[in-house]
Amino acid sequence: MIPDMTQQGQPSQAPSPTTQNVPVVLFNGVSKSYGRIHALSNITLALSGGVTGILGMNGAGKSTLFKLLMGKLRPSAGEVKLFGTNPWKNPAPYARVGFVPEHEKMHDWMTALEFVSTFARLHGMTRSEAEKEAIRVLDFVGLSDVANKEIGRFSKGMRQRTKIAHALVNDPDLIILDEPLQGCDPLARTTIMNVIRELGKLGRTVLVSSHILNEIERITEQIVILHQGKLVALGNLHAIRERLDQIPHTIRIVGEDARALARDLLSHPAVFGVSFPNDRELLIQTYHFGQLHADLPRLIVENNHRVDMIDNPDDDLESLLNYLAGGSS
Amino acid sequence: MKQDREIPSLWSGMDRKALAIGEFTLRQQRKRLSTWVVFIVGIAAMGVMTMFYIDAMTRDYEAIDNDGDSYDWDGDGYPNGQEALYGTDALDTNSHPGILDPSILPDDPSVWINEDDFDWDSLAEGSVGKDDNGDCDVESRTASQKDANNNGIPCDIEITSERWNPNALVIRSDGNVDEDPDDEAYALEAIHRSFVLATGKLGVVFLIGIFVPLFMATGLIRNEMTSGTMHFMLAKPIARSEVFLYRLLGFYALAWVYLTVLIALLAVITGLTGPSEGFFRFSDLGVWMAVWLASLLAVMVYGMLFCTLGVMWKHGMVLALPFAAWELGMVLTTLGAPEASILRFSVIGWAMNIVDAGAALAWSDTPLLIQMGLWGGGNGPLEGSEGLNFFWSTPGLGLGALGTIIVSVLVLVFQTAACWLLGSALFKSKEIE
Repeated sequence: MIPDMTQQGQPSQAPSPTTQNVPVVLFNGVSKSYGRIHALSNITLALSGGVTGILGMNGAGKSTLFKLLMGKLRPSAGEVKLFGTNPWKNPAPYARVGFVPEHEKMHDWMTALEFVSTFARLHGMTRSEAEKEAIRVLDFVGLSDVANKEIGRFSKGMRQRTKIAHALVNDPDLIILDEPLQGCDPLARTTIMNVIRELGKLGRTVLVSSHILNEIERITEQIVILHQGKLVALGNLHAIRERLDQIPHTIRIVGEDARALARDLLSHPAVFGVSFPNDRELLIQTYHFGQLHADLPRLIVENNHRVDMIDNPDDDLESLLNYLAGGSS
Repeated sequence: MKQDREIPSLWSGMDRKALAIGEFTLRQQRKRLSTWVVFIVGIAAMGVMTMFYIDAMTRDYEAIDNDGDSYDWDGDGYPNGQEALYGTDALDTNSHPGILDPSILPDDPSVWINEDDFDWDSLAEGSVGKDDNGDCDVESRTASQKDANNNGIPCDIEITSERWNPNALVIRSDGNVDEDPDDEAYALEAIHRSFVLATGKLGVVFLIGIFVPLFMATGLIRNEMTSGTMHFMLAKPIARSEVFLYRLLGFYALAWVYLTVLIALLAVITGLTGPSEGFFRFSDLGVWMAVWLASLLAVMVYGMLFCTLGVMWKHGMVLALPFAAWELGMVLTTLGAPEASILRFSVIGWAMNIVDAGAALAWSDTPLLIQMGLWGGGNGPLEGSEGLNFFWSTPGLGLGALGTIIVSVLVLVFQTAACWLLGSALFKSKEIE
């Protein structure tokens, strides 16, 4: 209640004395419900170090999870601990956290530099310290040349990068990014992914949420999958994927002569069916997705086919979730 | 390596969270169109009132012959007042001061207008007044006529308290004493003071003081919660009560500067336009200082309160409007019954106490001015006196002027702190989507 008289960013309550053996993020039987709608039910999860992808469809509870962690929401049941401290009661741990909210709305009237340095001062930096740090992080996300432009004139990707810069300004141990790639152009996407991977290499704990499997796959292997407020899978993406390979899969190939390609591919033991939506397109059904994918380039080259595109139309989160949900029932 | 750590100072100590949010809020408000609409409407409203005032100050007031002694009833060229002074018959053409030895030339009738101005210097009980034109103490009047109020002093005005109500005064004149005051001088002075009080109390402290926070402070926290931008601020190691307080500081910085400029403009315009012997009415500055202090404090309490109402409910404005209506009732009560105890349950009652106390210090002769004007030489109220009587109030705490100011300031600061605690508690318990 009492304002921070020193203004040095020291928390109003002391953080828990030791954070040595405490996980960075701890959810213990956490549920969050709005009336009869259960946004999250009984989540138990502990994370420390590395990049973790939080995967889930829209409305799966990813944002709710982050808001509980950031003390925006109070859990209906269970306990949330951030560096061993209850974030709803005490904002102290945020000194070590950078949060990139999903909200698109920003303070459009500020320049990127003003935005980042203003919020850096809330960490207890002086004006000049904040400005120095802001220039550093804006350079890190590749925005140093537009630092003095108004955010209102930024593209979606630049806005996302500004938000990421603002979250990195206090050199946090934990970075939380809520859908950082949503709506970004490919270039911004690559930049943001590189930034996230870089942070992981620096030994920070990074939480990234997304509803697109491929995006997460390019960033990290460690994933948490949420579905309808429940934690359905946790662990290494490859391990999950290997099990996924065992179920029927579709591969879509676009090339010059789809029928000729089909003749050569049908000899492969993993293929059990083909179809032709049109002359240039081929859909292959397989039980051994991984094996076929490994052999596919060789088969194409050996038979001198010209292929424009290979795509896995159901290699997405939805089919993964269908599989996981089906497997559990 | 160059050592570039700053030397710690009070400024670099402050120049972190509090000023970051305060400055952010100030700049955010400045970028909003609605802020400027509110400010310009406020200035325009005060401007219209000031135009009426300037018109009243530059108008010619007809010099009224309150006692009728500039007339010449018998047509002999001598005004009645002059005839009365020399004891000649005002109704007889052949009786006039010209036949006296030595012969007296007739006065211009205008000499006998406004010729017996007020000569009061206090409102204390006792004897006041002076018969400037000598038409009371003339030989033709009997001793009992010269002492009509029967206080033993001829040709004076006696002030006594009413028997059943010691605060009400009874004014009894011996007749022909201070009976033809300078109407224009009185009207200008009274209208000037009325305008300063009316604009200061109703215009600046009440209307501006309540509408600026209503439009600017109600959304300070709520708008950020609705738009989702509050997430940036609350993801920092800073308590919500601090965010609440520093947002308000940013609002105060803007609103207080606005009020200061507005009041300074009004003070300069009225100081130059109002009646005075020099080029500027420095005596009004005390009143404007009180208006300034009261309006800053009123904005402080209202800002905190409306921001709290905004946190309480997303339509905080709907909660604020009934409160504003209550305050309107209270401000009207301060004009009629400044001592009413119901005023303790308002913000504006305390703010008005400050203005009233400031006016009592700067213009201590106003009650006298009002009484003289209402009495009007025994011929009824002079122009401007009733208005002044309406807008003037004696500070209602019965503590004396300085005591009233100190107590009122403390109460308003306390009200602000209470609103801050309530608002912070509400804000802390809010879940933010």
